[in-house]
Amino acid sequence: MNKTTILALLMIVAAAVIFMNASKDVSTYSNFSEAVSSGSRVKVVGVLAKEKPMEYKPEQNPNVFKFYMKDNKGEERQVILAKAKPQDFERTEQIVVTGSMKGSDFYADEILVKCPSKYKEEEITLRKSS
Amino acid sequence: MDKIQYVGEALWIGYLCKAFILGGFVTSVLSLFSYTYASFGPTQSSINWKKLGLVSFGIHAALILSLLGLMFYAMTHQHYEYSYVFDHVSGELPMKYILSAFWEGQEGSFLLWMFWNLVIGTVLIRINDEFNVEVMAVLLLSQAWLNSMLLGIYLPFGEEIKIGSNPMMLIREVTAAPIFNNADYLSLIQGRGLNPLLQNYWMTIHPPFIFAAFALTVVPFGYAFAALKKRSFEAWLTPALPWALFGTAVLGISLIMGSLWAYEALSFGGYWAWDPVENTSLVPWIILVGGIHTNLIAKATGRGIKSTLLFYLGGFLMIIYSTLLTRSGILGDTSAHAFTEMGLEWQLTFFVITFLLLGLGFFIPNYSKIPSPAKEEAIYSREFWMYVGSLVLFFSALLINASSSLPVFNTIIRAFDPSYIGRVIKDPIEHYNKYQLWISVFIGLFSGAAVWLSFRGIQKPNKALGLRLVAYGILSIAFTWLTTLWITLPDWHHVLMAATAWFTIISNAHYLLDAAIKNTKALGTAIAHFGFGIMAIGILASALNFSYLSNPFVFRGLFGGEGDEEKYIQLIKNKSLLVKDYVVTYTHDTLIGKTRHYDIEFKQLAGDSASGTTFVDSFVTRPNAVYSNDFSKVAAFNPDTRHYAGKDIFTCVVSLPAQVADAEQAKQMEDSLKYQSHSIAIGDSLTLGESTIWVDGINFPPKYPEYVKNRHDVGFEVAYHVKSSEGGIESGSCAIGLDGNILYKYAGKHENLGWRIRPAEALMDQLLTPENDLVYSQLKLKRGESIDWQGYKITIRGFETQADTFRYKAEKGDVAIMGLIDFEKNGSAQTAKPIFVLRGNAPMSIKDYLPIDGLHIRLSHIDPSTGIFELRVAKDIRTQQSVIPLEIATEVPRSDYIVLEAKIFPGINLYWLGSILMMVGLLIAWWVRFKENKQWTSV
Repeated sequence: MNKTTILALLMIVAAAVIFMNASKDVSTYSNFSEAVSSGSRVKVVGVLAKEKPMEYKPEQNPNVFKFYMKDNKGEERQVILAKAKPQDFERTEQIVVTGSMKGSDFYADEILVKCPSKYKEEEITLRKSS
Repeated sequence: MDKIQYVGEALWIGYLCKAFILGGFVTSVLSLFSYTYASFGPTQSSINWKKLGLVSFGIHAALILSLLGLMFYAMTHQHYEYSYVFDHVSGELPMKYILSAFWEGQEGSFLLWMFWNLVIGTVLIRINDEFNVEVMAVLLLSQAWLNSMLLGIYLPFGEEIKIGSNPMMLIREVTAAPIFNNADYLSLIQGRGLNPLLQNYWMTIHPPFIFAAFALTVVPFGYAFAALKKRSFEAWLTPALPWALFGTAVLGISLIMGSLWAYEALSFGGYWAWDPVENTSLVPWIILVGGIHTNLIAKATGRGIKSTLLFYLGGFLMIIYSTLLTRSGILGDTSAHAFTEMGLEWQLTFFVITFLLLGLGFFIPNYSKIPSPAKEEAIYSREFWMYVGSLVLFFSALLINASSSLPVFNTIIRAFDPSYIGRVIKDPIEHYNKYQLWISVFIGLFSGAAVWLSFRGIQKPNKALGLRLVAYGILSIAFTWLTTLWITLPDWHHVLMAATAWFTIISNAHYLLDAAIKNTKALGTAIAHFGFGIMAIGILASALNFSYLSNPFVFRGLFGGEGDEEKYIQLIKNKSLLVKDYVVTYTHDTLIGKTRHYDIEFKQLAGDSASGTTFVDSFVTRPNAVYSNDFSKVAAFNPDTRHYAGKDIFTCVVSLPAQVADAEQAKQMEDSLKYQSHSIAIGDSLTLGESTIWVDGINFPPKYPEYVKNRHDVGFEVAYHVKSSEGGIESGSCAIGLDGNILYKYAGKHENLGWRIRPAEALMDQLLTPENDLVYSQLKLKRGESIDWQGYKITIRGFETQADTFRYKAEKGDVAIMGLIDFEKNGSAQTAKPIFVLRGNAPMSIKDYLPIDGLHIRLSHIDPSTGIFELRVAKDIRTQQSVIPLEIATEVPRSDYIVLEAKIFPGINLYWLGSILMMVGLLIAWWVRFKENKQWTSV
């Protein structure tokens, strides 16, 4: 066997190992009931439960923001996020949180919020009267 | 319905632009075909075709440059009737951002890319080497595709298919709104302007670089294609190399700029986030670096021509693939970069497929014809390790690309199986770091060793070389140990990464001193590889060892594990907080334009407690918050960073009180305050909860800043002082003002007590008697005369014909006389200035008011013949003067704090230095290869 062949084989083996490993880093978007049953770290996608209270008290702890989220199956849970309250959070359309269940709450340390597009639905701005 | 005749539209601009776009497309296609025909055979007709290609390229260039000029004209002259102008320009946009506004949109950025293609095409025509016809054909193919993105043609096949998006459509054609029923709509609208996030100089300089890089990468593709088309597999290696070096350097510089932008001006909290948009720009860079290495091998040994072809074809392919990913909206919520969709995803897909087919279509049939030496390379040859290194780079690119393309795979699978649930990476940063760490290990090892080997293994490995490599190894272990004294390397993977980085640093530093000084070809190599090692150490220091300046006293244990780290601190204005060894104080905030700047003062305590409260260092950072263009809410936070040689202290506001960040929330909060009425006598106090207020008295006129600014007819200020439960005493004031019939209240704010204090309306009635209830006395006296009235000595001091008070605005034709009347009592005198006005024969009396005594003074008549002034004077009926009605709201949420993220990045300068050195190395290599090429330097 020449060196090129050996190299190619090594590469293929390495690629296979890496891809097997990397597949563990990948998951689907989950929901709260799956998070409860699996107990592992997942990404849950949902919307803000606007009628429920939000709590961000920076004077007590600026690293904790609590809110209620409704997942795709309609299940509602309190999310305890280890971050500051994101700007303009009340207007978010969609939320993705990464974390795991602990008791009846979802403890998250990552959040991605999707806000309504600033450009598409914006009305035509009228020139100021002056 | 009748067609509306719109007013003020400059329709000629749109007609011309559309003609330029269409003409540009036709001429680019014509030039493309001409160059393609020219590439068939060396006959006379081929020369003519080439001429036609050249001429049509020239016309194309003229049309596109005219289009650019005209669009600029429309933007600088604010022709809001055009959608692109409307979307990106506004009257308030400073001219310095007009370029940013131009390429903020997708159409403008395509045009920027096309502009660079024109520049590169011109250079290629000047060079005019044997591959010119084919390279030009490839360049024009990309140009024609880019131009097609601007066409804006709708094909009526069932569902409407859109080809391109024309930036110069009329706004009324693309948006349906009732305002367009108004023929004069242009005078009513204003543009949206540039996104406030993008209003900084990075937006001016970064896009030209990145699009120059995009355009440059088509040239190596072009040469690879030319080699395959002409079946001339060796001659192209020499002219392609400098283009690849230059393009890769420019792309790398753009990546560094993007990284700096993210770090310096955006709130990402770092310089690299493995965001798909970042990744898909990094992938072509890595691929082209691989190509440069195999290109060098191929030039020196004749090996690796196939790999070079594939790397160069892949480089540009990955550029347009990244364009597809970032502009089609396919990335969805996996990317933080906001790109608006244009509905061109199919067109972009075909753009990619065209180049994919072009590359593979010529590569596969020629595969067996591409020469490759049968004899194996020696294991101690330089090319062997360079080749393995290139494979590692290929691997790196493959991994990043596969992970970043998950949304693409999801979309493709979903096309066949709509029930398929898309996959995402759980923790992207961890995922990428985990694998790229090994890439760094191999690159460090190979680049450290290979520079000392020779091509074809001419110099057999000897003992001296072996000893030297062992010495580097020992030194790198020693340096790694020193590194662990400075930063934490949590496991053996990271120790290995540090050791291999030191290996290449030491080896290449020696190589630089030993060989590269004499050999300019080696100079670029040594600097680039040295830089790579430095960058790797910088990444270990800054990205692995950054720490938060946070408050250790905030309760812990809530999250258990990783999330337990305290990240942010709440800073109350002027209240110092001790975090780690810094005393941090938020001292000021200033609003400049739409940006609120926060001054954060840091004072570093001396390390040992023995020295008490001495500070070894102090500095101020100014992170800011940018309001949206309509000022309704905070749109973005921008960080500010204090730089030191060894570390950076990065600060960024992450949260503001809702009532500060959002006008709507502010109003809601204001409405929700519950004011309770209280009456407190002057000198008395009132205790509510744990706080107490003492009323000190009434002031005239109010000094309350907002009151002074607004200036009312009559106003009073209540002075008081308060004491909080913690014992701190603050003095304060609140005010009330009357303007015509409207009463204004100015509340005193006490954040520490959570109190708002304002006067009750009754205070005005109590102090100021309504005009109808006043009992005026009529007095007549001459200038200089005095009279006694209710204990006052009233004297007419004189008059002025230039009446000037805030109560009276002179109109044309007015005859006004302002009396100067002194009121003296108990030795203190005040001067009233009532005004008598004749406006068109109608007399008017504008009264003056002396608030301390509550005197109303009018000048009702002046007899010019006798010089007698007729005065009317009344005094307020002031009862219960000493009891002040106040309204107090308690439990008011604080509005004087910020939540701050403060991070320490150790060794971040090594990251910048290392990555810049890599580009310097590439540029040196480019310069050397450029000079080497006789054909070019003669141009």
